[in-house]
Amino acid sequence: MKIFQGNSLAVVAKIIFVSVSLAILGLLAQSAFATGETLIAIFIALAMIAIALIYFSKVSIPLKFFLPGMLFLAAFVVIPILYTLVMSGFQFKTGNYVDKPVAQERISASGFVPDDSGITYDVSLGRTDNGDLALLATEYFSQTFFLSTEDSLTDLSLEQVQIDPDLGIAVATDNFTPLTPEQLADIGASLQGLRFVGKDGYFLSLEGFEVAIPLKPALEYDQASDTFKNLQTGALYADNGRGNYANVEDPEDVLTPGWRSPIWFENYFALFADPQVREPFIGVFIWTVVFSVLTVLTQFALGLLIALALDKPLRGRRFYRIIIILPYAVPSIMSILIWGGMFDTEFGAINALLGTKIAWFLDPMFARVAVIVVNLWLGFPYFYLISNGALQAIPAELSEAATIDGASNRQVFWQITLPLLLKILTPLLIASFAFNFNNFNLIFLLTGGGPRNDLDGEIAGATDILISYTYRIAFGSQTQDLGLASAISVVIFIIVAAISLYGVRRSKVLEEFI
Amino acid sequence: MKWVREKLWRHAVAWLAVAFAMFPLYLVIVTSFSSTGSLQLTSFIPTELSFVNYDKLFNDPTIPFLTWVWNSLLVAGSVALVSVVIGAASAFAFSRLRFKGKKLGLQALLLIQMFPAILAIAAIYLIMEGIGNFAPGFGLGTQAGLILVYLGGAMGVNIWLLKGFVDSIPIEIDEAAKIDGASEMQTYWQIFIPLASPVLAVVTLLSFIGTFNEYILARLFLVDMEIRTVAVGLQQFVAGQYSENWGAFAAGSILASIPIVIIFLSLQRYIVSGLAGGAVKG
Repeated sequence: MKIFQGNSLAVVAKIIFVSVSLAILGLLAQSAFATGETLIAIFIALAMIAIALIYFSKVSIPLKFFLPGMLFLAAFVVIPILYTLVMSGFQFKTGNYVDKPVAQERISASGFVPDDSGITYDVSLGRTDNGDLALLATEYFSQTFFLSTEDSLTDLSLEQVQIDPDLGIAVATDNFTPLTPEQLADIGASLQGLRFVGKDGYFLSLEGFEVAIPLKPALEYDQASDTFKNLQTGALYADNGRGNYANVEDPEDVLTPGWRSPIWFENYFALFADPQVREPFIGVFIWTVVFSVLTVLTQFALGLLIALALDKPLRGRRFYRIIIILPYAVPSIMSILIWGGMFDTEFGAINALLGTKIAWFLDPMFARVAVIVVNLWLGFPYFYLISNGALQAIPAELSEAATIDGASNRQVFWQITLPLLLKILTPLLIASFAFNFNNFNLIFLLTGGGPRNDLDGEIAGATDILISYTYRIAFGSQTQDLGLASAISVVIFIIVAAISLYGVRRSKVLEEFI
Repeated sequence: MKWVREKLWRHAVAWLAVAFAMFPLYLVIVTSFSSTGSLQLTSFIPTELSFVNYDKLFNDPTIPFLTWVWNSLLVAGSVALVSVVIGAASAFAFSRLRFKGKKLGLQALLLIQMFPAILAIAAIYLIMEGIGNFAPGFGLGTQAGLILVYLGGAMGVNIWLLKGFVDSIPIEIDEAAKIDGASEMQTYWQIFIPLASPVLAVVTLLSFIGTFNEYILARLFLVDMEIRTVAVGLQQFVAGQYSENWGAFAAGSILASIPIVIIFLSLQRYIVSGLAGGAVKG
């Protein structure tokens, strides 16, 4: 007997739901394509194909379950990771932020030289018959006249223009209507940036309303050789392959801005080879490991001690338990900020309690102690809970048998309970190590990574762990180096993945779950 | 004497732990009822009971506290619901279906989770900027965009969590349904979902807490005062040197923490299962 039968209502609902999703995605893809976000448009289009294929055919039943989750993971986790991987191979930092065409444009616009002869033009401003702004220019000594707009230049003879008898300059011609003083006042400010076509490759720039001077970019771009030439010094700047135009004779002399340029593994090499990067990196790395190890040890020790104390029936045990879990339950952002206030030198509760005047966050050693103490507070309840669970999992017969054999309580703990506990809890200890290795919120909100010597332009602070250090490199206030930050991210990823995979092996979690 | 040897040290340890755990929390409570507004320890016994900070939260037009709370509920709530609805399907497939590449898929999921999410922020920022160019409602500076990003991040954790819990539901019932002619979809909707609903509820709440606690992405996305979440909004009170706002911060923190603490305490046995540890505190 068949109990389960195809439900036509469910089929109709499915078709409507999938079709509506496809329609929405289609609209999004179209507008993404229209605004030039081609990559995003392609991603959405691929998603649409996958949806249509998987839900309207029987290609794969598991994929019907996986696809929505996979799409979200791909869009907001996997692609950002790949993007980071790509960035780590680029020169991508302050000064090298834009792409090459934009950099060329900005270099070209960065300096101008006037005409050698020091010529200037007297001009009247007006509009051509089709409404474009135009200059009617006069060069008095050579009696040259021309009409110039932003994209054309028309030479005029003396006969074609009407000369103002007092000033001796051209004021009217065909296809030109002068602007009235009121109109001039209206558009005055917008005139400054305009470039009108001039003679011999120069452009005309207005100086006030009546004079224009011919200017040329100081750096002239040569398309064929992909070089810039400085028209004043004659120096030649060529693409140095690292995202900058550099002086051919002096590689240190580069034009700004540069652009994002692939430099392959240089960011990674810099971590080991460039002393300016290597020294802080190694320092931060060591502190990261010390911090993670100390954190896990202190949290585990305190948590276990409490778990042992509360292991036997005790009056008020439920009360103790609830209070002790509280630090773990309170949102950590709030409690970290509170601790930050408590360590304040002048008004902080810690100094008041100890009767001291310690500037906790200004001294490297004290700041590190504070970080460990706060993290102990945040994490010991978790270790209490898991130690408590593990203690209950250890059969009582074992310790009873040992006691009968004459072992003291101390011996039972050190030789039976603790080794068994460690065996059970090692995977969680490793997971906790990996978590604290990247405990960004704590460092960022408590000390900001400091103290650091800002005046020396130091990026790494005394309590900075790798992840907060990297965050500063990428988004810091002085220079931002996304390429280097991405490279360190990849290194952190490899370290954490290695630690965690080791932990997973230890716990055999994969075998257990598959 | 036996009592001293057996019990006294236990009470002593417990009381020290209670003191350590309560110290900052006690201070916050006292500060929230004090009118001075600074986080000072003047005396252990509170000298005043002032509601000026709470009053400020609800009545000061420059502090849209209730809006922040609503924003947090909205963002964390939608992320929790949608990610569990989507994640449950994947967890079901991982737990109950047989297919090629299952082990590979699980390993890939685990590996992806190990990439420090904070460091993909630059890439996420650039991608969301691109999305904002054609769909301004989902770009940077919008809650919808933040929800999308959270959903991506929550997916991996939730699939793992759900799979762990779901594996403990006996498979025999699904198999019986299969023999009775149920397709995979029917098994999923008519057998699996009803059976797993308590588990789904637990993971939804865990996911809610995790998202509620998130701060870094929220700060990056939510610039306008009106769309901030409670964590971002409150943090601004004490960022920098404005120590006079500790009172309002303390009051706001207490109010925002109460529901989270209640959910947390009622779910502690699930959280303690170890698996869930990393999912809640992020």
